[in-house]
Amino acid sequence: MSDRNQPVVPAEEPGPRASGTLQRVSRRTYAKEFALKNLFLVCAFVAVMGVLLIFAFVGWRGWPAFTEIGIWHFLSGREWSASNEEFGIFPLIYGSVVVMLGALVLGTPLAVGTAIFLSEIASPRARAIVRPAVELLAGIPSVIFGFFGLLILRPIVAQLSGGLGFGAVTGWIILAIMIVPTIATLSEDALRSIPGGIREASYAMGATTWQTVYKVLVPAAKIGILDAVILGMGRAIGETMAVLMVVGNAPVIPESVTAPMATLTTQIVMDMPYAAGLHRTALFGMAIILFGVSMGLVAVVRLMSRWQTAIKGSA
Amino acid sequence: MSERLTRPTSTRPAEDRRSARLRLAAILLIVVALVLLAGCTNEGGSASEIVVTGSTTILPIAEIAGERFHEQFPEYQVLVSGLGSSAGIESVAKGSSDIGTSSRDLKPEEDALNLRDTPIALDAIAVIVNPGNPVDGLTLKEVRAIFSGEITNWSQVGGEDRPIGLVNRDEASGTREAFSKIVMGDTRYDMGAAVLPGTGQVRSVVAEAPGAIGYISLGFVNDEVTPVAIDGVEPSVETVASGTYPVQRTLHFFTVGEPEGLAARFVAWVLSDEIQQTVVRDAGFLPIDAGSGS
Repeated sequence: MSDRNQPVVPAEEPGPRASGTLQRVSRRTYAKEFALKNLFLVCAFVAVMGVLLIFAFVGWRGWPAFTEIGIWHFLSGREWSASNEEFGIFPLIYGSVVVMLGALVLGTPLAVGTAIFLSEIASPRARAIVRPAVELLAGIPSVIFGFFGLLILRPIVAQLSGGLGFGAVTGWIILAIMIVPTIATLSEDALRSIPGGIREASYAMGATTWQTVYKVLVPAAKIGILDAVILGMGRAIGETMAVLMVVGNAPVIPESVTAPMATLTTQIVMDMPYAAGLHRTALFGMAIILFGVSMGLVAVVRLMSRWQTAIKGSA
Repeated sequence: MSERLTRPTSTRPAEDRRSARLRLAAILLIVVALVLLAGCTNEGGSASEIVVTGSTTILPIAEIAGERFHEQFPEYQVLVSGLGSSAGIESVAKGSSDIGTSSRDLKPEEDALNLRDTPIALDAIAVIVNPGNPVDGLTLKEVRAIFSGEITNWSQVGGEDRPIGLVNRDEASGTREAFSKIVMGDTRYDMGAAVLPGTGQVRSVVAEAPGAIGYISLGFVNDEVTPVAIDGVEPSVETVASGTYPVQRTLHFFTVGEPEGLAARFVAWVLSDEIQQTVVRDAGFLPIDAGSGS
């Protein structure tokens, strides 16, 4: 147990710090320790309660969407039109998946490349510049990305495609940039946690840097990198504001990658201010699906890290 | 381990029970605090505030009229927000705002809300295109065919060979509702159109994209976009007043029952000549009594 876990003994009451024997502390110190421990318990309790309450609330409000609209009709319906009481979310699920996959395809190589650069190639000076830059990227509010996408990127896409510039492509590019920090920092951690001996062994065999990265390090860190990609997926599928501003929000299966489309999250934002009755219920039903997806992703990550520990344990 | 170290040496089962009781008490305290916090909601706005919510079209009128009202009577605040006409109607019916603004009439299902309608201005909906687009006039029929997705290229209505980029408003929009009623009738919108949540966004997108077409309140038309003539009539204050421009509508304030107290004063303020002839006209709308004469 490290030093910071030891209780702080007040200076005026120096206790014998002998190991192996129980330590004598004053009642005041004990009360303080007790209060602090419970304070942290309360912190954890509030966080967990928050999740549970949201889960219960969304489930309670959204469940009728499955029973009243019919779960199959709700999930596979091709038309989302509140004014016609049509609540089929298939185009929205399709939109969410398309936007997420495209962003992953563009963003993953970028992010893993950044991670490899940071952990294997960069000089300390280069790392001192690139690393904070990547972290800064994670700190930019998503509405700023959306603004950038709407005002800078969209007109460029519009020029190239001859359309309005709203659509999957614009969303992909913006989201790909947004998920880079998530994937890059976690992948870098995975690469760094590979024991130095493995790297040295590879170089000692005469392998070049590229061969070491490609044949040794990436395979060794693959579960960690996969974890990072899945968390990036979670970020991509849940992202709302930036996507809302660039995809065009047409609840249809788009004819092309430059035609307006919508995702689950963007449709919830568009409709929430005025939705009432079954419409609002349907929005909560979509929230249940989003909840399910993100819980599934977290579960996959947990399972994989357990799997990884099992592999390491048996090796 | 550290737990055991911090305990007094006199720790005996009695202490354990006490710490368990204390822990339970702490948790209970938190639960009670949460419940109390949840119970203490804001009991409506204070008596010196008027909350005005709704149409983004009416936003400029309501905001400037609100500011002037505040200048005149500094003890009162007018809080204005634009979320769309449907949101305004819902919020005034629920009591979270004093006045709901709407750029459309009530739908049949909203009649039961017992809302009192005060028309405050007349407005035209202009169909706008990019300034680089040579098309300067369309028939009502063509506009309907364009927005339903039947006509997809400008060359079909006498323009360049360029695909039409449809820009629509969101379903909360009163402008969309009014446009649908006047222009579309029973025809449905093309669902593949880009849906933008505000008048300003429609204008800026149409201003940039050469093939775009959208519709916004006449009050929001500026040099960046070109309004097209409908059935040969240019949208303008004159053609709205004379009733010749076909796509026009009334802007509304809705209150629950007769407006009372402060809300009544604000409604009267907006209807006064001072606001009607300056703010309403400056925003590009028509005073409500300019009605379709001749």
